[in-house]
Amino acid sequence: MATTELRNSRFRASFTDPEQLLRAVAYLRAAGHRVLDTYTPFPVHGMDEALDQRPSRLPRACLAFAALGLALAAGLQIWTSAVDYPLIMGGKPLLAIPAFIPVAFELTVLLAGLGVVASFFLVARMRPRWRVPDLHPGANDDRFILAAELATDVQFPAVARDLADLGALESSLLVEDRFQRGGSFWDRPAGVGALLLACLPAFLILLLVPVLNRDFQRRNLAWDGGMGAPLSAQAFDASGVLPGGKVLQAPPPDTLSRRGEPPLAYGPGKAEADRAGRELPNPYQPTQARFNRGKLVFERVCATCHGREGDNNGSVIVARGAFAPTVLVSPVVRDMPDGRLFHIATFGGPTKMKGYGDLLSREDRWNVVLYIRELQKAARPGPTASTPASTGAQP
Amino acid sequence: MSQTFTVPVRDLTKSGIPTLADIGERLRGGAWAFVLLGAGLLGLGLVLQAERGWGNLLLTTFNLACVGLGGLFLLAIQSITGARWSDPILKAHRAMPALLPRAGLLMLLLWFGAATLYPWARPDAATHEALHGRLGWLNPPFFFGRVALIFGAWIWTGRRLTQQGKGAAPFILVFGLTFSVANFDWLMSLEPVWSSTIFAIYGFSGMFLQGIAIVTISAIVLRRVGLLPAVSKAQNHDLGKLLFAFSCFWAYIFLSQFLLIWYANLPEETGPMRLLLQGRWMPLFYLNLILNFGLPFVLLLGRKAKTSEAVLLATCALLLAGRWLDLYLQIMPPVLHGLTPAFGLAELGGILLQLGLGHLSCWPVFMKDANPAQELPQGG
Ligand code: HEC
Repeated sequence: MATTELRNSRFRASFTDPEQLLRAVAYLRAAGHRVLDTYTPFPVHGMDEALDQRPSRLPRACLAFAALGLALAAGLQIWTSAVDYPLIMGGKPLLAIPAFIPVAFELTVLLAGLGVVASFFLVARMRPRWRVPDLHPGANDDRFILAAELATDVQFPAVARDLADLGALESSLLVEDRFQRGGSFWDRPAGVGALLLACLPAFLILLLVPVLNRDFQRRNLAWDGGMGAPLSAQAFDASGVLPGGKVLQAPPPDTLSRRGEPPLAYGPGKAEADRAGRELPNPYQPTQARFNRGKLVFERVCATCHGREGDNNGSVIVARGAFAPTVLVSPVVRDMPDGRLFHIATFGGPTKMKGYGDLLSREDRWNVVLYIRELQKAARPGPTASTPASTGAQP
Repeated sequence: MSQTFTVPVRDLTKSGIPTLADIGERLRGGAWAFVLLGAGLLGLGLVLQAERGWGNLLLTTFNLACVGLGGLFLLAIQSITGARWSDPILKAHRAMPALLPRAGLLMLLLWFGAATLYPWARPDAATHEALHGRLGWLNPPFFFGRVALIFGAWIWTGRRLTQQGKGAAPFILVFGLTFSVANFDWLMSLEPVWSSTIFAIYGFSGMFLQGIAIVTISAIVLRRVGLLPAVSKAQNHDLGKLLFAFSCFWAYIFLSQFLLIWYANLPEETGPMRLLLQGRWMPLFYLNLILNFGLPFVLLLGRKAKTSEAVLLATCALLLAGRWLDLYLQIMPPVLHGLTPAFGLAELGGILLQLGLGHLSCWPVFMKDANPAQELPQGG
């Protein structure tokens, strides 16, 4: 700046029509002037070619940020829902790709958009200024404006005449760029101060939050129209709309659930199973209702492995050629006391079988034992083998 | 650079360079051969397996109608927005609606196949539980009355728009309503149990994409034979951007429909979806996504690609194949009752018929105001 002699060589011209602008650009370039840039209310077709501009490299930044967003979204979702905290939801697989797409899409678009704008500011070295230089008041309105630099040894008035012939509303030499020279405080780049100033409204709102919304348990000033404090129902509240007049609903019929039962006086293991067999009688008598319930539970839970008749027929384990579960209608199980069967249903078999104490209520486990006895009778008609008498005592 | 695929290689032994009239002559003969062969194959398909024959006739008809509507819709929005970028290629848009009358006639032919295609047209429709209470709307006389009405509206508003440049806004209104009805009626009622409330917009996204693809192909070919001399790289770039955007739009709508069905897992909605996701239809399901979104997305991502005629032509070909497959996957599973997908005489016949009819309808419009003796530009 200091080396060149002071010659005001830059000028502007404004037009009302994009075609005129295009023609003017072509004329100036042909006459050896350097067209710096054009400013138009909308993209003008053919302007890039007329200015002979290199295509922007911003799309690459856009692509990179988009890829970053996609990778972040996919990584976050896959890691949280399939690796770190695998939780089956809605019966979908852990790695449920369709469910990840919306978030992945949003994050891709978001990062691509923000990233490309940030890159643009960075590349164009656009930093906040107190006062924005204004090339021409119409630049923000409906004028088509160009800025150019005179070729050496050409005088401006001659160019201005030609531009007027091409339809220019006005054209004028630009004064020396004040911003380069420092000038007053307002002409300097704004720096961090402006940034903080721009954030002021946000700070103010943050300051107001404790005043506006003190107690999150209570409805305070409803500055948000009450959106922050929705009506919420607690499990044991009464309800005007739900069946039964209560919020808490009974589970659908045939749901098997754990009840709040006192702890069992037995632990897992062979010795405990034997002890249960010696000490625990079946507290219930066989009735039609218990038979039905026992059948339901058995067929839902036990039959997958033991077969519907307790004979391993139709057992998924046997069908797949793996180890076989014990045949429940065999003499071995027939001779086990009720308490032992109950213990097995609760804590599992000696080696492979899982216990079902966590899934089945105590009563259901006894019902299943009753049902197994019926299965055994059906498998070998005739007088039943000696089973311990049920006394009706509570376990 | 390269010789185009419609411009015949210059015959050095013949005196003179081929003119537009020469090509028109040659292409018309080919198109008639396509039409006759296609109709014959389709007829043979009908005799061999009635379901597939009628299904393919429906596919052909719908595809042709959608091409016509695609051109009209593009024309209408450009007229409403006062767009000027497309001025040099408007001829390519204007030709498409000429397909509508032919598609309408084909659609009326389906009267004879309605009972094969649509459960509501069968004698036992009254016992179909999903049709209970719907037979007042879905019955052959009313259905085909609507077909005639809808095509009438399209043809009439289309004429006004293409010939006088008037009525773009009314066309859009009429189009929105009738195209939704058409999708629900002609395609969705093939499977009365299944329903999707965004089915029409899904159909629209495919139709619009297809319209842009056809216009792009026509614009490029017409420029190469010298009928659209004003087309420049800028138009190619714009068309490329439109293709890219609406391929994404199609995928967006596809996912909007699929995601809800996948999540909610309602038996009546998942049933048909399961057929596509499992077993023999599965590869086609994924191929559909790849053709309509995956490949176009990758191919058109770069700026250079969007202006390259070769890339544009390849992408448009993929998209048109994808649209055909998309319709195939909407029509065939219910029509074939979930049997194995197949590509045979009937499918081939349908495609030949589309190509032939497409050319016969559009070429005369392309040639309007053109000098038939005009020589072809040499060297691509
Ligand atoms: C996942 C498969 C599976 C299920 C479900 C299952 N079992 Fe078993 N069960 C086995 C296997 C395997 C054995 C063989 C012994 C072992 O490895 O624990 C067995 C053994 C048994 C035995 C004999 C144990 C012994 O000491 O030999 C009894 C009694 C029994 N199961 C009862 C039941 C009852 C009652 C249920 C339903 C509540 C049930 N099982 C559900 C797999 C299963």
